[in-house]
Amino acid sequence: MASPPLTTRRDALTRALERWNALPATARFFILLAAAASVPLLTSNDYVIRIAGNVCLFATLAVALNVVVGYAGLLDLGFIAFYGIGAYTYAILSSDQFGIHWPSWASLIFIGLVGLVSGFLLGSPSLRLLGDYLAIVTLGFGLVFAQLALTLDRVELPWHPGVIINLTGGTNGIVRLDPLSFFGFQLHTVTHYFYALLVWLALVLIIVHRLNQSRIGRAWRSMGEDALAAETMGMPTRRLKLLAFSCGSAIAGITGGIFAAWQQSVFPQNFSTDVLITLYAMMVLGGISNLGGAVLGAGVLAIAPELLRSPELARLIFYAALVFGLLLFTRPRRNGLLVLVSVIGLGALLRLGVQAFAPDWLSPPTLEVAAVSVSTAIDRFSQQFGIYVQGWIVLLKEPLLVGNLAFAVMIPALLALSRMKPGRIKLLLTIPAVYLLVFVWETRLAAEPAVTRLLLIGGLLVTLMIFRPNGLLGRRKVEIV
Amino acid sequence: MTLLEFTNISKSFGGLQVIRNFSFAVNAGEIVSIIGPNGAGKTTVFNLITGLYTPDQGDIRLEGKSLLGLEPHQICGRGIARTFQLLRLFLNMSVRENVMSAAYPRTHSNLAQIIFRTPGFQREEARIRALAEEKLGFFGERLAGAFDQLVYSLPYANRRQVEIARAMATEPKMLLLDEPAAGMNPNETQEITQLIGELRTRGGYTILLIEHDMQVVGDISDRVIALDYGEKIAEGKYQEVATNERVIEAYLGRKHRIQ
Repeated sequence: MASPPLTTRRDALTRALERWNALPATARFFILLAAAASVPLLTSNDYVIRIAGNVCLFATLAVALNVVVGYAGLLDLGFIAFYGIGAYTYAILSSDQFGIHWPSWASLIFIGLVGLVSGFLLGSPSLRLLGDYLAIVTLGFGLVFAQLALTLDRVELPWHPGVIINLTGGTNGIVRLDPLSFFGFQLHTVTHYFYALLVWLALVLIIVHRLNQSRIGRAWRSMGEDALAAETMGMPTRRLKLLAFSCGSAIAGITGGIFAAWQQSVFPQNFSTDVLITLYAMMVLGGISNLGGAVLGAGVLAIAPELLRSPELARLIFYAALVFGLLLFTRPRRNGLLVLVSVIGLGALLRLGVQAFAPDWLSPPTLEVAAVSVSTAIDRFSQQFGIYVQGWIVLLKEPLLVGNLAFAVMIPALLALSRMKPGRIKLLLTIPAVYLLVFVWETRLAAEPAVTRLLLIGGLLVTLMIFRPNGLLGRRKVEIV
Repeated sequence: MTLLEFTNISKSFGGLQVIRNFSFAVNAGEIVSIIGPNGAGKTTVFNLITGLYTPDQGDIRLEGKSLLGLEPHQICGRGIARTFQLLRLFLNMSVRENVMSAAYPRTHSNLAQIIFRTPGFQREEARIRALAEEKLGFFGERLAGAFDQLVYSLPYANRRQVEIARAMATEPKMLLLDEPAAGMNPNETQEITQLIGELRTRGGYTILLIEHDMQVVGDISDRVIALDYGEKIAEGKYQEVATNERVIEAYLGRKHRIQ
């Protein structure tokens, strides 16, 4: 009897992904760059372009953080301070705070140097610290910076008593910053700054990629694998760690400068620990030590909160992701279709049951009006779709208790499901699990979108990390063999 | 010509004296083996030479210049490379990358050259690549075709060879091999013995070896030094050392002295 073929079954989607990965990195880079650059051409909605700008901003920071954490293996919890130092330096150099108005190119180069030096200054004494201890020291540095930003509005120099300098503007920050201007062209719209940030992101990606493909990148990776062996093989580990640290801080600084110019102001809360945590989440989500991952993670975590702000868009994205996920992650793919159809059937059954035995529990469809609209066409389609879905699902008049219970049951259920061995039982249990997911979405989101937004983002993160524990694009590292 | 001088070295960890007034020298082109029972301090000697530990007393000189106070990567730069008793390869990198990474101390590309991909940088990358292929080529058939495989997927004997290739890529004057034949079957042991000989003849390296397998030691060493509890108990040709009373006593115990 003939033995089964050794190649795994590949369908259209897998083959498309393979063809994508087979393209040289340069080609993939330019395709994605072109796609990103076309965003302002496809929509004139400033809100969307601002989100895209934010994605570029955070992607650059995530890539820089990746160099420090992923390549050099240094857990820097004060990274956000370099971002802030860059932003505040720009603010001081380009505003009425001190009446200094440097040209943009000079500011950015100076900020780069400031970032480099501050990274070097923080890095030098702390590099003899290992792991967790370095984390604490850098965290301290980050907190010190936040505090200084708040309190350096009343600086008294010892040799000029009585003269009080307002360095950082305290809680009020510094406002009315000069916009960026290059070769006489002043950037003043969201689109301009989006392109500036995109260009900067592209530059950073190229620089980091080239560093990666050099003796320095190899040394960084070797250090990450076994620092002792690397040192013994002639790689100056201390110097290399410092280099990674300084590179990351310099990039963060310049990014901060561009951010300050875009926002036309700087405030202490722009550089809080919250932002740092989000940044780390972006990097880990994408996959540590993976450039593409950092960008992807930044994309997901910069876009998700915005999407969830608009219930219409959120609904469409949710269902699209659900269907897509079912079809993508089930093997064979027709099982995913089977689950989908069964869920619809189960839903209809439950609805009919409740209608028959407890009709007064049900409520008519409820619709949220979007505070910010991405597109009226999308809104209308989403609302129509919403009416159908809410007619199919068991929509309760008193959704809070049942919705909360369902949410509490859903997370462990999904966890347990992910741990099961693939097979008939897992397939069968996926059906009520998916129904539960949709039920929770419709009941909770309809009730309190603002509150559940963060809950859903948290749920998204947990789920993604369960299914891809090394990040979306990360690879499992083999430790001991 | 004396390449390495290890003079009056003592080392203790807390209350435990690991090396006691130990001296020896290695001449250029020699293959010297250090033998001794487990815990004698052999790997500690390697760690002292490569700068991972600092001696409490004594001096270590390479080509007349002291190695004390230097960082391990500087000592490697001076021309000493080692392999580890329990392999310390960069597991998630390919064979080629492992060896290329060790070419670091002999390369000079700086940040600017790397970022702008100057012709100087590209020439150096090509040179590093060629160097890695040359060193890996030393092992001939055994590693051929596996250059782009990730190291963790290689069989044990091949991983040992990659580690030796990696040490060679630092272009040292002297190789310190820590138990290269450990865990090998008789065939592989024979290959390793041959290999070490070729390292001297074709590669021109001076070799300091730690080994338990007396077959290998006997076949390949010019000189053997026996260590026990951190002290030198014998030195000389293999035949002399292997039949030395104190050496036999160290390995087998007092009651088993061969008359």
